[in-house]
Amino acid sequence: MTVLLDIAFWALGLVAVLAGAAVFYVDSMARATYALALSFIAVGLQVLFLQQNYVGVVTILMMVMEMAIMAVYMVMFMGMNPALMPMSMVHDHRAALGVAAATFLGLAAGILVVDWPERRGSPPPDVTVALGEALMGEKMLVMAVISPVMVATIVAGVVLAAHRTRYDRFGDNLKRRPADDPQAGGVGR
Amino acid sequence: MAEPMPMPRSGATDSTIVTVAPGWAVVAVAILGALVVAAAALDGALSARASGEGGGGSGGVARPFGEAARLMRQRRRTTVEADSLLWRAGGGGLLITAVLMVTVIPLGEWTVFDLDVGVMWFNAMDVLVWALVWLTGWGPNSAHSLVGGYRFLAHGLGYELPLMFALVAPAIAAESLNVGEVAAAQEGLWFAVWMPVAFLVYLLGVVAFSVWGPFSPALGTDIAGGARAELAGVDRLVFETGRYALLAAGAAFAVPMFLGGGAGPLLPTWAWVLVKTAAVLAVLVWLRRRVPAFRPDKFMEVGWMVLIPAVLLQDLVVAVVMVGRS
Amino acid sequence: MGLSDMVARAAARHAHVLVVETPGWWRTRAMVEREVLARGWSLAFAPADADVLVVCGKPGPQLAEAVELVWHQMPGPRVRVGVTEDDDVAPCLDGAHSRLLDTDHHMDDARQRPAASELLAEHSGMDHGGMDHGGMDHGGMDHGGMDHGGMDHGGMDHGGMDHGGMDHGGMDHGGMDHGGMDHGGGHGGMDHWGGHEGMDHGDGHEGMDHGGGHEGMDHGRHGDMDMSPSGIPLAQGGDDRDGLEMDVLDVRLGPVLPHWPAGLVLRCSLQGDVVTEARAELLDGEQPREAAAAPLARRLDNIASLLALAGWDDAAAEARSLRDVVLAPGDDPTVGRVARLRRRVRRSWTLRWSLRGVRPLSEDDVRQLGLPAHAGGDAYDRLIGMLDRAAAGDETASTGDAAGHTHDVDRTLSADLLAHLVTGLDLATARLVVASLDLDGLRAGHAEHEMSHG
Repeated sequence: MTVLLDIAFWALGLVAVLAGAAVFYVDSMARATYALALSFIAVGLQVLFLQQNYVGVVTILMMVMEMAIMAVYMVMFMGMNPALMPMSMVHDHRAALGVAAATFLGLAAGILVVDWPERRGSPPPDVTVALGEALMGEKMLVMAVISPVMVATIVAGVVLAAHRTRYDRFGDNLKRRPADDPQAGGVGR
Repeated sequence: MAEPMPMPRSGATDSTIVTVAPGWAVVAVAILGALVVAAAALDGALSARASGEGGGGSGGVARPFGEAARLMRQRRRTTVEADSLLWRAGGGGLLITAVLMVTVIPLGEWTVFDLDVGVMWFNAMDVLVWALVWLTGWGPNSAHSLVGGYRFLAHGLGYELPLMFALVAPAIAAESLNVGEVAAAQEGLWFAVWMPVAFLVYLLGVVAFSVWGPFSPALGTDIAGGARAELAGVDRLVFETGRYALLAAGAAFAVPMFLGGGAGPLLPTWAWVLVKTAAVLAVLVWLRRRVPAFRPDKFMEVGWMVLIPAVLLQDLVVAVVMVGRS
Repeated sequence: MGLSDMVARAAARHAHVLVVETPGWWRTRAMVEREVLARGWSLAFAPADADVLVVCGKPGPQLAEAVELVWHQMPGPRVRVGVTEDDDVAPCLDGAHSRLLDTDHHMDDARQRPAASELLAEHSGMDHGGMDHGGMDHGGMDHGGMDHGGMDHGGMDHGGMDHGGMDHGGMDHGGMDHGGMDHGGGHGGMDHWGGHEGMDHGDGHEGMDHGGGHEGMDHGRHGDMDMSPSGIPLAQGGDDRDGLEMDVLDVRLGPVLPHWPAGLVLRCSLQGDVVTEARAELLDGEQPREAAAAPLARRLDNIASLLALAGWDDAAAEARSLRDVVLAPGDDPTVGRVARLRRRVRRSWTLRWSLRGVRPLSEDDVRQLGLPAHAGGDAYDRLIGMLDRAAAGDETASTGDAAGHTHDVDRTLSADLLAHLVTGLDLATARLVVASLDLDGLRAGHAEHEMSHG
C-alpha cells in the first residue's frame, strides 16, 4: 500500500512539473492558464499526501478559482484571440531560459547542500494545527491587522482606478435616484 | 520527502462513520446515476405537463431515456478552429466533479472517503465547475458559446462567496469540517431549522453550480444554448448528465450538512439519507418550473449586497450561540 | 429487431426540431411548433441540438443560403423538410420521422458531407464585392493567396513585444510586415495550428460554424489581414463604454434563431457581450405583410417568446399552448386562460425584477422614434401591456390613445430602428428588448428615423 502511495505521490509531482512546463510550451492563453491550474491541483493533492489536508484542499479551491478569473483577464487584456491565433507564451527566450536554469540549479544545490536536521520526536496528531501555530502563533495580531488593511487597499485601488465616480452616477448634487449606470445593478441602488 | 500515509482521521471521537473499501465507490456512482435518472424523468414529466402535451405517451417520464438514445445516435461535432482538448475536458469534467463530490458524503454510517476536511473538499469541487463551464464555452470557438461561458463566471462571482459562507455555518456549529461529524452534531435539532438563511443560500448555490433553473442564463435560450450551443451527440449527453449529477450531489450534501444526516424514525440511516436527498432533489428540479432566469448582471449585486451580508450575519449568530453553549 | 434499431426508434420519438420561419409564414411556423410538441418532440435552440430542420415557407435566395449553412452545421442524423401548406404540417413531420429512422441513408449522408475546409474554400471563391453572403460572411478573405502551409504562427517570435502593456488598438495588423517574421527559426516542425490538429476534418463530423452568425467578419477592417486561421480574423481592440480597451467581435444575430423576428439579420459589434454597434438587414428585401392574420395568436406568440427569453419555460409553454388554441379552428374559450396567465406573470416578482428598467422609453422617445404607443415604459411594462391586450381580446388595442397613432394597427418597425434600440445593451437585454416590442413584422427603411440615430 505504501508503495502505491509512493508511486501516486511521485506521479503527481511529475504531473505538477510537466503541467508547469506546459504553461510555456503551449501556444494559447487558455491552455497556459489551465495548464497552470492543473499544476496547482497536482501540488494540492501532493499536500494531501503530506497530511496537510486543509492546506491541500484550500490550494485546489483557491487556485482553480483564481485561474478561472485569470483566464478572463488574460483573454480580455492581451488583445489577441488566442483560441484562433497561436501565440508564444515566452518573452525574451534566451535570457528567460538562462535565468530559469540558474534558479533551478541554485535551489537544487541548496536542497543538496543544506544540512537537514534529523526528526526529533513524532509528528503531532493534527499537523495542520501545528503548522498554523508555527506560522501564525506569535504573529496573529499582525495578521489580524494586515487583513483589513489589505482589503481597504484593494477597495481603494478599485475606487481610484474606476473611470466613473459617484458624481457620474448620482449627478452633481448626488441626488439622482436611481443612479445613472450603463448597466443597472440588481438591488436598485 | 515526508512519508506519505493514508488519510488521517483526526479528532474522530464521537462519530460512528465507517470508511468502506474503495470498491464500494461503484455503488456510490450507481446511486448517483439512479438519482440523475430520477431527476431527469421528473423534469421530463414536469415539462410535458407544462406544455400540455403527452410527452410521447409516457407523460414525459421516458424522456431522459429517449434523449439519451437520441444523443447516443447523434454524431459528435467539431467546429472550425475549436480547442477540442479544453472543450472536451470542460464538458466531461462536470460528471467527474459530481462523482468526486459524493465520495465525501456519508450514506448513513458508510463513507467512501472520510476526509477530515470534507466540507472544504466539496467546496473545492464546486469551484472546479467555474473552470469547466468556462472551458466548455471557450472550446468550440463560437461567440454564443463563449458568452455563455463568461456568463457563468459572472454568476459564479455572485453565488460562490455566499455559498462558502453558508457552508461555514454548519462547520462552526459542529466544530468540525468532517461531513460525518457535522451530521452527528445535529442530534435533535437539524441545522436547517436554526440556520435557515445558510440553508437557503446553500440550496441557491447548488442550483447555481449545476447551471440549473434560474441560474441557467449561461445556457440561455437567448444565446442559442450558450456554453452548450455547439455540443452534439455523446458530448452533449455527458454535459447534461453532469449537470443533473451536480444537482444530485448538491442535494445529497445538503442532507449531512443541514438535514440531520441519516437521523429519522423507523428506517435505517442509509434509507433516510436517500429519502431526504430525493426530496431535496425533487424540490430543486421543480424550482426550474417556477422561477425565471436571474440575469447575471442583476444577480451579481444581489449576491454581494444581500446574500453575503445575510449569510455573514447567520454565521455570526451561529458563532455567538456556539460560544454561549461552551 | 436489433439494439441499434431500438435506439433509432427511441431517438426518433424524441427528435429535436429547428424551425426556420420565412417572413410571411408565421402561421405555418406556429402550426409546426404545435405539431412538434404534440408528438413529444422538442424545439431546438441551435443547429447542434437539432435532428430535423423544418423550413416554413419559400425562402428567398439569401435566407435559402443561410438555411443551407445551418444544414451544414447539423450533426446528423439529420433530416430537412419544407412546409409550404398549413395542411401539410403533420404529413411532413411524419415523413421526417420515417426518414430519421433510415439509418443507411444517414450513413451515406455522413460519408458524403463536405468537410469544413472544403466549405471554407468554396466560399472564398464567391463574389466578395457585395458583402451579401447571406448566411456566411467570409467575403473579403483571400483564401487563395493565403499560404497557411508556409507561415508559422506558432513560432512567431513575440519575444521582444510586451503584450501586457501593448496597445493592440493602435496596432496596424494590416501593415504588419509578415515578411520580416522569423518563420524558420527552429520552429519549422511546429504544427501550424498549435494543437488544433486533433480536429478531424475528414469524416464529416464537423458542424461548420458559420451560419448561426457566430463568426461574422467585417471586411472593411480585416480585409487586408492574413493572420486569420481558417479564415477567421482576429478580433480588433476598441474602447468599451467604461473606457477600457476590449476586443471587438463581429457577430451576426439571425436569421435562423429561435424567438427572433423572421428574416432579420443584425450585424453586431460586440465587446464582451455588449452590442456597441448594430446594423440591421432584412434578408431578401421587404417582407410580405400577412393580411392581419390572427392578431391575438400573434400577441400570444410574442408573449411566449419574451417569456422564453426571460428564462421562464413554463409560462412560455402556457402562452404557446394558448396561441395554438386560438389558432385552432373552432372557438375555444381562451379568455379565462389568458387572464390566468396574466395573473401568473404579474405575480412573479423575479420576472419583474429581471425585466424592470430594460430599455425604458419615454412617451417622447416613442413619438420621436415613431414606435407604436404601447412601446412606452420598460420591457416589463411592455410585457404586461401585451398581456393586457391579449386578455382583453382587443385586436387593435390602441387603448386610450386616439391621437392618431396609426402605428398601432401597423405593427411593424423599421429594422434600422431596431438596431438603434439595441445598441449599448448586452446580448440578453438586446434579445429581451426586441421580443418586448410586440412586432408583427419588420420593414426596411432608413430615411424615416434618420434623425433619431444621433
